[in-house]
Amino acid sequence: MNQEDWLDRELRDATPYIDDEGFTVRVLQQLPPPRRRHDLLRAVILLGTAFLASVLTYVVSDGGRFISVTLERLAALPALWVFALALASGLVVAAAGATAAISRSRAPLT
Amino acid sequence: MELTDADLVARVLVDDDQHAFGELVRRHQSSVRGLLRQLTRTDVALADDLAQQAFLRAYKNIRSFRGEARFSTWLYRIAYNCFREDARRRKELVGIDEEQLQTQHDPQAADPALRHDLMRALNLLPLNERSAVLLCCQNGLSHDEAARVLGIPLGTVKTNVLRGREKLKRMLADWGPN
Repeated sequence: MNQEDWLDRELRDATPYIDDEGFTVRVLQQLPPPRRRHDLLRAVILLGTAFLASVLTYVVSDGGRFISVTLERLAALPALWVFALALASGLVVAAAGATAAISRSRAPLT
Repeated sequence: MELTDADLVARVLVDDDQHAFGELVRRHQSSVRGLLRQLTRTDVALADDLAQQAFLRAYKNIRSFRGEARFSTWLYRIAYNCFREDARRRKELVGIDEEQLQTQHDPQAADPALRHDLMRALNLLPLNERSAVLLCCQNGLSHDEAARVLGIPLGTVKTNVLRGREKLKRMLADWGPN
């Protein structure tokens, strides 16, 4: 055993693990408050845009005549077609929801 | 599955996740506090104050962590800077010169416990050599990593480690292998 090995070992052993003893809690208590997420602002922007788009569509589509025309056409469809359409819409919404849920799921910290 | 430091840093960056930052503190508190205790010559209260300051600074500046080095290396650098700034304020940055070192070391009067002697010997080293020895020999950093932490050239780190070890060997000659 040479002196370098001996010295290195002693140096490493000279620093035992220091127990936390509330240190982490004290640090966390001093952290600035988390940044406020702009969820409300985001919601206002999205709803406002949707509302404006709806008004614009209503105006340029001659008072929303296309809606009544589409409803008339839907009513004229066979019942099986209407059922298939509803089912497909439901599946699309469910798939989008599942994707969002998976992407937001998190692994445990430890 | 245990998350890596990089995962936790990403959570802090993206979600400002303080729980993730707490996990980083828990993981590194011992090594950072240990290093600062050695640098402050075992002034536990001061070392813990500086460690808290270092972690707070790390949290506030976490966007500047680019992942080029290990998170612990980045953290050591912040801790070392906190120590230096505090030492400058206290005007304690002046190292002990060789002559002073010779006169202070008295093997006959040394504590019989090797660890005590080792700590005492470390505390007698000038700051630049003590820091380099602590980082490289005690905390296992490479010379390159230590150079980043200390903000000095690689060659200087190597020289400081070499000189520091030589002095330790001389001071602890009675304990070494015969």
